[in-house]
Amino acid sequence: MGIPEIEDAGCLLCFGYNGADSHPIVARRIVRGRQKGMKIICADPRVTETARISDIHLQLKGGSNLALVNAMANVIWTEGLADTKFIEEHTKGFEDFVKVIEKYTPEYAEPITHIPAETIRKAARMYATTKPAMILYGMGVCQFTQAVDVVKGLANLALMTGNFGGPAMGIGPVRGQNNVQGACDMGALPNSYPGYQNVTDPEARAKFEKAWGVSLPGEIGCPITHVPHRILHEKDEKKRIHAYYIFGEDPAQSDPDLAEVREALDKCDFVVMQDIYMNKTGLYADVILPAAAWGENEGIYTCADRGFQRVRKLIEPEGDVKPDWQIIAEISTAMGYPMNYKNTEEIWNEMIDLCPSFKGATYEKIEKYGCVQWPCRDKSMEDKGTPYLHKDGIFGTKDHKALFYGTDWHPPVELENDQYPMTLSTVREVGHYSVRTMTGNCRTLRNLEDEPGWVQMNTGDCERMGLKKGELVKILSKRGYCITRCLPTDRVEPGATYMTYQWWIGACNELTTAKLDPISNTPEYKYCACRVEKIEDQEWAERHVMELYDDIRAQMGIDTGKGAEA
Amino acid sequence: MNYFVKGNPDLCIGCRTCMIGCVVAHEGKRIFEVDPDSYDFNPRLHVVRTVRLSVPVQCKHCENPACMAVCPVGAISQKDHCVIIDQDKCMGCKSCMDACPFGAINMTERKGHVQADGTLKKTANKCDLCYGLPGGPACVRVCPTEALALITEEDLETAMERKRAETARNTFRENHPQE
Amino acid sequence: MKKELGCFVVGDSTKCTGCRACELACFTVHNRESNHVGKTVGTVTVPVAPRLFLTKFEEGCMPIQCKHCEDAPCLNACTKGAISRIDHQVIVDAEKCIGCKDCMQACPFGAIALLPYAKDGKLVAQPMGEETKVFASKCDLCAGIEGGPACVRVCPHQALRLVDPEAEREEKNIKAAEALLLTKNWR
Repeated sequence: MGIPEIEDAGCLLCFGYNGADSHPIVARRIVRGRQKGMKIICADPRVTETARISDIHLQLKGGSNLALVNAMANVIWTEGLADTKFIEEHTKGFEDFVKVIEKYTPEYAEPITHIPAETIRKAARMYATTKPAMILYGMGVCQFTQAVDVVKGLANLALMTGNFGGPAMGIGPVRGQNNVQGACDMGALPNSYPGYQNVTDPEARAKFEKAWGVSLPGEIGCPITHVPHRILHEKDEKKRIHAYYIFGEDPAQSDPDLAEVREALDKCDFVVMQDIYMNKTGLYADVILPAAAWGENEGIYTCADRGFQRVRKLIEPEGDVKPDWQIIAEISTAMGYPMNYKNTEEIWNEMIDLCPSFKGATYEKIEKYGCVQWPCRDKSMEDKGTPYLHKDGIFGTKDHKALFYGTDWHPPVELENDQYPMTLSTVREVGHYSVRTMTGNCRTLRNLEDEPGWVQMNTGDCERMGLKKGELVKILSKRGYCITRCLPTDRVEPGATYMTYQWWIGACNELTTAKLDPISNTPEYKYCACRVEKIEDQEWAERHVMELYDDIRAQMGIDTGKGAEA
Repeated sequence: MNYFVKGNPDLCIGCRTCMIGCVVAHEGKRIFEVDPDSYDFNPRLHVVRTVRLSVPVQCKHCENPACMAVCPVGAISQKDHCVIIDQDKCMGCKSCMDACPFGAINMTERKGHVQADGTLKKTANKCDLCYGLPGGPACVRVCPTEALALITEEDLETAMERKRAETARNTFRENHPQE
Repeated sequence: MKKELGCFVVGDSTKCTGCRACELACFTVHNRESNHVGKTVGTVTVPVAPRLFLTKFEEGCMPIQCKHCEDAPCLNACTKGAISRIDHQVIVDAEKCIGCKDCMQACPFGAIALLPYAKDGKLVAQPMGEETKVFASKCDLCAGIEGGPACVRVCPHQALRLVDPEAEREEKNIKAAEALLLTKNWR
């Protein structure tokens, strides 16, 4: 399926995905679909823009995703709404799956999810009986310690209703950052070479070794979220990380438990940072490599729908900045492995010749069709790529059958307690992208929202604590605290708080937990216990926030208009 | 009749691109190149978010404008289908702000306009339908979900005529079920 | 977050009966400290001079007072620097005022009057003359007086309202947005 098909779905199950804030251009498809009569079921603990225009809003308690998904599967099965023909012909493991979901009656799920059993039934019926039905899921699924299980759970729903392999159906991961799909495609993962060829596969390894004329390690590398541990606590000297080369990423802002991240960057012997602007990680860098921005760069991005798209240079980079690929080539050459690419197309051609599933996606073809969705195996212009990965229910397994995968729900790691009675989930806001490295330097966006950001809280909670809109509050967890502004809103449920993670002062990742999903190694950004404290002396707090802001800017060498003493 | 821009809450995703489009259009400066402190960030419409809705709210360009009626210095006038504030005449008394039932007027600082005590003047600020700017209202043009529309006299009249005809036809069918 | 605009009090001519309780309250609270005005008639030794003005017109009556303008003509017209903005409100310093009447002429609402200046229950004479010192007097929103504007508190008909313009604007915005829900299918 492709992003443009969203608007043609009969029913959209939007699960933990807030398009309006994270991808407004995708949200446009949802809005347009709605205008065309698409039914929308939105599973989100907040009233998001999608929830607001949905037919059914499943306002679930944070951290109860799998209980809800299993309960929907339970309803679809027990009410005879499953596509038994599709299950029989195209899948395996359904009996075992049914054994898992048997106990997840809507009544069983109600106290876990805080959603009335009858609402769960209605949603399950709507999803199962409206064709074609599409699922979009976002970080509200992925950023939990039980993330991969829920993705599989959502795939189960699509499988048992036969919603795979055709237009406007299936299950769509809408990625957290732009070109995350591309980074994965290109092997920026600890376990794979470009094109999802495993580093542990001797055949694949031999191919890359031959092409590059080097010997490559056969062990899986270190996931980014394990890095602090491998720097700080690794006993085995051979496994300890001494150097950290970071580009296009700001772990000192975006990673959980920032206190630990800072300690790790501090203790790491050598840190290289490559980015377009100064950021918090840059404060710990031994070397900073200034990179060209997207408009000064060219190359290929992959969209969330597996579509390769060209990115073209708009303007020539000025000053001492260089495109990322040139910096990498120069570093590599300096380290004794000469890279002499003339342009990104040369790199691309080398890559596709090593990746069977990308082989046909030439620059020429992408230029001509605008977008080519992989797999695209043949270079002839007739192979336009693969819009439907599992077309007609033919899956990528050996016997071409999809596998049902049932797992039990378990609660998040850090639950509310006496000391920290509320929950914190990190979210996005539309004006600022990711860690704000780019948008923080866009003046009008900064005019709209600036430091120290906001914490969204239920109006009732605010009234109880005597908090007004815009008041500075202190928010704490076991790991740290930060100061931010209070935003009372009935779009969030009592007991929960939500913060966007891009603010330097209101940095919610001071609070988040570094507990990971065992398979994806993604942290549980969406759930930790916290406490909100009123600050009596607001004047002091306003001054304090300004001082902190000026201090960070001075450290980064940004002119604060306060003289050169910084 | 005065024209007006109207937001549709079914289409709005609360992204506030309209607010930025408004500022960029009205400043008339190369806003992304000049000194960040040299332009005014005064959007003339505001995105309202409640539990039920997200939608921008701006001046309705009333036919009998309450703001105009209460202005002590005659700074508000109607011309070319539009209610307009003359910011040079305005002295920031907030009477119009109090009179407007939609909250469509706010008071904003104007760079380079200083009062006797050295502080910046604040004057009334509201939608002027991008008066005198090419291309019509910027908010309508920049909205990614086409949630804003400029409504003219003709638009409104066409809709009213269609509704009247519909009502007449329905009444006719009610009275003549066979035909 | 800090407040951006000055508040002001407005009268409602549909409720006002012209009883002048607002004027008396205004005078009392402003002279309690400086001129020992108490709760009984005998304690008043200075002229009763309020800072808002019950105004009768053809169709009715209502009190008129200062709007605390954001580009205040009175402040801009004052050559002596006796009018300043303190905590967003436009305030006259009676000590500094020389009674030039420029502010009175600049104000389009008639919200300023020249009043005799009294201290400790006695009128104050001009430094070099016999005449009483006067000063430009106007609403100061009962700055420093507990309970906020006295006129609003004492009005028996709730004909006076303290306006926080930005807060009210936001509330009206929400109502206007909700109305858009009702008219969204206007075509």
